[in-house]
Amino acid sequence: MFELLLGPGGGLFGDNTLYQLIFYIPFILFLFYGQKLQSYMILGEVSRAMGRLKILKEKSRKEAMDYITSNLKPQSDTAEKIDQILEYFTIMPVDMDPSGIVGKLEHTFTIRDDRIKSEIRVLATEGDLVQKSAAENILEAATALNFIFKIIRHFYVQGKRTSNIYVLISLQMIMPMILQQANALMEAIDAFKQIQPIGDGIGPMIVGKMMLDYEKKEIARDTLLTECQYNNRTLYLIKSTGPGGNVGEPGKAVEKLINEIDADIKLIIMIDAALKLEGEKTGEISEGIGAAIGGIGVDRFKIEETASKRDIPMHAIVVKQSLLEAISVMKKEIAETAGNVSEIVYRIIDEKTKEKDKMLIVGVGNTLGVAQ
Amino acid sequence: MIPSVGEKKGKHIVYTVEQCIKCGEKTKRVFKLGDYVFKEIEKCQKCHDKKNISMIFSEKITPA
Repeated sequence: MFELLLGPGGGLFGDNTLYQLIFYIPFILFLFYGQKLQSYMILGEVSRAMGRLKILKEKSRKEAMDYITSNLKPQSDTAEKIDQILEYFTIMPVDMDPSGIVGKLEHTFTIRDDRIKSEIRVLATEGDLVQKSAAENILEAATALNFIFKIIRHFYVQGKRTSNIYVLISLQMIMPMILQQANALMEAIDAFKQIQPIGDGIGPMIVGKMMLDYEKKEIARDTLLTECQYNNRTLYLIKSTGPGGNVGEPGKAVEKLINEIDADIKLIIMIDAALKLEGEKTGEISEGIGAAIGGIGVDRFKIEETASKRDIPMHAIVVKQSLLEAISVMKKEIAETAGNVSEIVYRIIDEKTKEKDKMLIVGVGNTLGVAQ
Repeated sequence: MIPSVGEKKGKHIVYTVEQCIKCGEKTKRVFKLGDYVFKEIEKCQKCHDKKNISMIFSEKITPA
């Protein structure tokens, strides 16, 4: 029987046609269907990641709903309203003629924030300002997860429908990073729910400590200003209003302070959290020059504009952390940098200014769980 | 350039550190709902001065 199959030629294959066929068929199959096979494998992998994203999206929606129901006690059914909020979109101003775009951006984002705030106000029959701001933060994270899921699903379906392997390969390549970001947003919701300080709050925490025992007044929306003395110098301190999850309007606050209250500022020091690069240590402190503030750029523009017009030097101190660390409960390594950063602030003040000078220190970031 | 997203955190505990403003004595306990940084709490048992929450942070659970 075997002899019949192997044929009379013997050797490895001999002149047996069956062995030759077994040897060549995979080559022919891979030649014509290799890409198809690869795309099936990619589709499977992306589909599994999509499933995970869907779970996270649904979990975040449920968390938002549970938090609002148990803390803000809405009268009507929240599900419909929350779904509506999760689908909110913001149309960015047209940038073909970029002149004046910062004003338009500010206007658009102020309206967006007002809208979310007013929706929460309408829903809430109970709950204090801190809980309302936490609800806003939770909804923001849930909206981001919803948006990520929808975009990924769009490319997945498009790639599948058009059998475009390049779209699928691009998705497969970015998927691990997308999943990491989605997990980070989910972890952030846990911190928001319990009003725990997040890594991004290190700037407000340092300035908040300097503000303790001094009078505070609101200078811009959710933003406080304090005046105090240090070594015969006047310090103006700005931070967002805590312990709610606010970032405030530091740009507007700096602009207002320098243009309307006291133009004689000799130095600006900004403290913020900065995203680290792979390999950098969490809690590493870096000093630099410029306006240390993230976001869409409106606040940075205002601060740079005001400082450059009056020729005020800007110093920046940042505490390095990953995206996950910045939006989840503050890690010990980050919290423990507060003392060292304060020392740097006072060292810069002593080195760069003289007695009777006035300077401004801004703590930038989300002040959730950090008072003043 | 894409900055570091960071590794998944794993199990961790959130702690609250209370500190006396006058004598600087620190006590560490597990976080409870309602805690926030710089919240004034009961007086220091040592010097009977004001005490506040100086830090809230998360620490990874390390197996004993």
